[in-house]
Amino acid sequence: MTGADAAAAAGVLRPAVLRRRRLLGRVRRDPAAVASALLLAVILAGVLVLPEAWPYRYDQQSLEHQFEGPSGRHPLGTDQYGRDLLTRLAYGGRISLAVAFVTVLAELVLGAALGGVAGYAGGAIDDWLMRLTDVMLAFPALLLALLLAAFLGPGTTTVIAALALAGWPGMARTVRSEVLSLREREYVVAARAQGAPPRRILLWHLLPNTVHLLVVRATLDVGPIILTEATLSFLGLGIQRPIPSWGVLIADSFQHLQSYPYLAIVPCVALSATILTLNFFGEGLAEAMDPSVREGAS
Amino acid sequence: MTRFVLRRLALTLLLVVASSVVVFVVGRLAPGDPVQLLMGDLRDPVVEGRIRRELGLDRPVWEQYLRFARRAVRGNFGQSYANPGRPVAGMIGQALPVTAALATAAVGLALLLGLPLGLLAAVGRGTLPDVVTRFVALGGMSIPSFVVAVVLIQWLALGWHVAPVSGWGEPRHYLLPVAALTLQPLAYVTRVTRAGILRVLPEDYVRTARSKGLSPGRVLVRHVLPNALISIITVAGLAFSYTLTGAFVVETIFRIPGLGQAAVGALFLRDYPMIQAVGLLYAAIFLGTGLLADVGYAVVDPRVRYRR
Repeated sequence: MTGADAAAAAGVLRPAVLRRRRLLGRVRRDPAAVASALLLAVILAGVLVLPEAWPYRYDQQSLEHQFEGPSGRHPLGTDQYGRDLLTRLAYGGRISLAVAFVTVLAELVLGAALGGVAGYAGGAIDDWLMRLTDVMLAFPALLLALLLAAFLGPGTTTVIAALALAGWPGMARTVRSEVLSLREREYVVAARAQGAPPRRILLWHLLPNTVHLLVVRATLDVGPIILTEATLSFLGLGIQRPIPSWGVLIADSFQHLQSYPYLAIVPCVALSATILTLNFFGEGLAEAMDPSVREGAS
Repeated sequence: MTRFVLRRLALTLLLVVASSVVVFVVGRLAPGDPVQLLMGDLRDPVVEGRIRRELGLDRPVWEQYLRFARRAVRGNFGQSYANPGRPVAGMIGQALPVTAALATAAVGLALLLGLPLGLLAAVGRGTLPDVVTRFVALGGMSIPSFVVAVVLIQWLALGWHVAPVSGWGEPRHYLLPVAALTLQPLAYVTRVTRAGILRVLPEDYVRTARSKGLSPGRVLVRHVLPNALISIITVAGLAFSYTLTGAFVVETIFRIPGLGQAAVGALFLRDYPMIQAVGLLYAAIFLGTGLLADVGYAVVDPRVRYRR
C-alpha cells in the first residue's frame, strides 16, 4: 500500500484507481481466490437462472411423487410434498443470498455513515460511538437476532434488521480507523482550506478512499451472515414458510433424516460449500490487499 | 494494576446494568402480552385486571424496573409466569450447569486440539499440516453447528449407533452435542494460535534464544508460546462465552434441557421474569469474560497496564 501511496503522491494515478488495479492483479495470481470466484459465479448463476428455467415452481406440490429419488425429471429427487428439490435448492439459495446481500448493503450504509462521522468528528462523538460499537460487538449476532425475532415476530425483514444491526459496528470501526488516518492528508487539508463543508469532505474525499476496505470487509461478512440466517431459519425464527431458504430446507428435511438423509444432506452441502467459498474468496481479497493479514491478526 | 482492574470492573458493572435496562424496556415495548398468553381462551376483564395487578404489570415501566432491580440485587428474580410457583432463580440454577458443562467440554476440546494444530501449522508454514489446518479453520467457520449436528446424527447415531440421538443425563449423551459445538471454537483457536506464533517468531528475543543454542522445542515453549498466549487467552474467553450463548441451537436439536432452551421458550411465552433474568445473565457472561480477558492480558503482559 505504501507503494501505491507514493505513486499517488507523485500524481500518477488517483489512489483509489491504483489500489483497485493492484488488488485485482494480486487476486488473479492466487489460485484459491480465482477458483472460489469461479465457483461463486456458478452458484450465483444457478441460483438466478435455475428457478426460472426449470419447469417446476418451488411450492408446486405433487402428492403422487413424494420422496422420489433422483431421476431425469427431478435430478435431485422430490421432498415430502413431492416438490422438486433442485428448484427448491436454487430458489432457497436465491433467498439466502438475497437476504445476505441486502443485509450487507444496510450494514455498509450504517457503518460508513457512523464510522465516517466518528472518525472525522473525533472528540466526544467519536468516544460515544465507539463505546456503542464496543457494546454491540460484545453481543453475539445470533443472540441479537434471536431477541429481535422473538419480539418483532419472525420474518424476512426481521432477519435483515437483526443481522444488519449486529453487523454495522464492525464496518463502522473499519471506516473510522481509515478515516482517522486519511483526514490529515494533503488533499483533505486542501479541500478544507478551500472551505468545503465537513459533509462534502466526508462524502467526496474520505469515504471514496475507504471503498476498497469496505469491499473486502463486506465480502468477508457475507459468509457469516448466510450462516446466521440459516441458523435462524432452521430454528423457525428466520425466513418463514412457504418461502424456502437453505436453513428452511434443512429444517424441513430434518424429521425425515432417518429414511431420506439426502434431503437434508443436499442443502447442507450447498449451504456449507457456499459459505466456504465466500470465506475463501474474502480471505484471498484481504490477503491481496494486505499480505501481512494472514501472518498478523486474524 | 488495582486501579486498572477497578476501573474496568466499574465500567463492566455499568454496562451490565445498562443492558438489563435495554432487555427490560425492549421486552415491554414488544407486541405480545403475557397476561393474554396466560389466560388462553378465557376472556374475562375482571380476572385479567387481577392478574395484571398481581404481577405488577399495571404500574409504569420504570417502576416495574426498579422493583425488578431491587429484588434482583438480592438474587430474587421472581416467579416464572409460564411455570407458576417456580422461582426463576431455581430454573436457571438447573439449566445453567447443563449449558456450562457443554460449553466447557466443547471449548476445552477445542483448546486441546487447536493449540497443537495451530503450533504445527505455524512452525511448518506452507507444509501439509499448514494447508490442512487452513481447511479445518475455514471449515469450522463456514459450517453451521446444526449442519454438523445433522451429519453427526446421520452417521454416528442413525448409521453406526455409536451414540444416542438425543436424551440427557448420561456421559454418552455429551458425545454428539459437544462434537457439534466444538468445531467453531476449534477453528478460532487454531487460527489465532497460528497467527500469534507467527507474529512472535520474527522477534529479536527469539533469534537471541536460538543463537545462544537453545533447542527449537525449548525456544518454542519458553519464549514463543508465552508471548503468543495473549491473543489465545482472549479468543478462548470469547469462544467460551460465544459457545455458552450459542449453545441453544445444539440444545434444541438434541433436546438438552439447558439455558438456551429455557431462554427461547421464555421469549415466546413472554415470560418476563425469565427473559429478564436470562438477559441479565447473558450480559454478565459476555461482559464478564471480556473483563476477565482484559485482566488476563494485564497479568500476562505488563505493557498493557500502562496504556490508557
